[in-house]
Amino acid sequence: MEVTTHETGKKPRKGWFFNPYVHIGVSIVMSATAQVCLKKGATESVTSLWLGVEVLRSGWGWLGILAMVTSLFSWLYCLRFVPLNIAFNVAGLIQVLVPLSAWLLLGENISATRWCGIVLVLTGVYVVARPLMRVEEKL
Amino acid sequence: MTMTPIAFGLVVVAESCSVVGQIFFKHAMGGDAPGKKAKLTAGIATKAVEFFLWNGLLSQFDLSYLYPFDGLNRIVLVLAAWIFLKEKMTLNLWVGVLLISAGVVLVSAS
Repeated sequence: MEVTTHETGKKPRKGWFFNPYVHIGVSIVMSATAQVCLKKGATESVTSLWLGVEVLRSGWGWLGILAMVTSLFSWLYCLRFVPLNIAFNVAGLIQVLVPLSAWLLLGENISATRWCGIVLVLTGVYVVARPLMRVEEKL
Repeated sequence: MTMTPIAFGLVVVAESCSVVGQIFFKHAMGGDAPGKKAKLTAGIATKAVEFFLWNGLLSQFDLSYLYPFDGLNRIVLVLAAWIFLKEKMTLNLWVGVLLISAGVVLVSAS
């Protein structure tokens, strides 16, 4: 099956660091990190209507923003080579990573329904990514 | 807080910004066409609008109330990439998107 990994004819440079799929991974992990940091920053700072600004007073908030910016750069890099609807749906893994890290790092609960949702998302990402794995193996 | 028509409208605007921002990003990064910087700026601007709108909405509503919209957003994005970016749609992709969207709704429903 033909997947247009390099629809524009552009090829990434050799080496794992330039692999666009590595950067989807970086983008996902950084995005989840950002969510956890921002949440930590938000609970640390005073709750008010200006929560979005108050978060800047805490180190966690700045760490979260740094992670978000890193995530954006990786995301833009991978978009040079990967079709949007593939990249975006593989990035659906964020929906799994965020509750999982909230569970592990912030001590939040994961209910049975939420576990079901996590399994559904994982299945969906697998279905989207499977043809890509086959193509990458051939390369 | 109950969802007023205005709040619902804001959610729709935020989600639309998310889709439009991604389309801009892909447009900017995908080709060597001129106006790459402008498109990138437009993408970042739409994303910023989305970020602040979303934060504002989060301060008024529960995340579990807002998150299902993110699941639906995914379907709109795939349609937009298909129509505006002329990306190839496969059965795999449709099945995957529907599974992920259903998953996102479930994750937030609990």
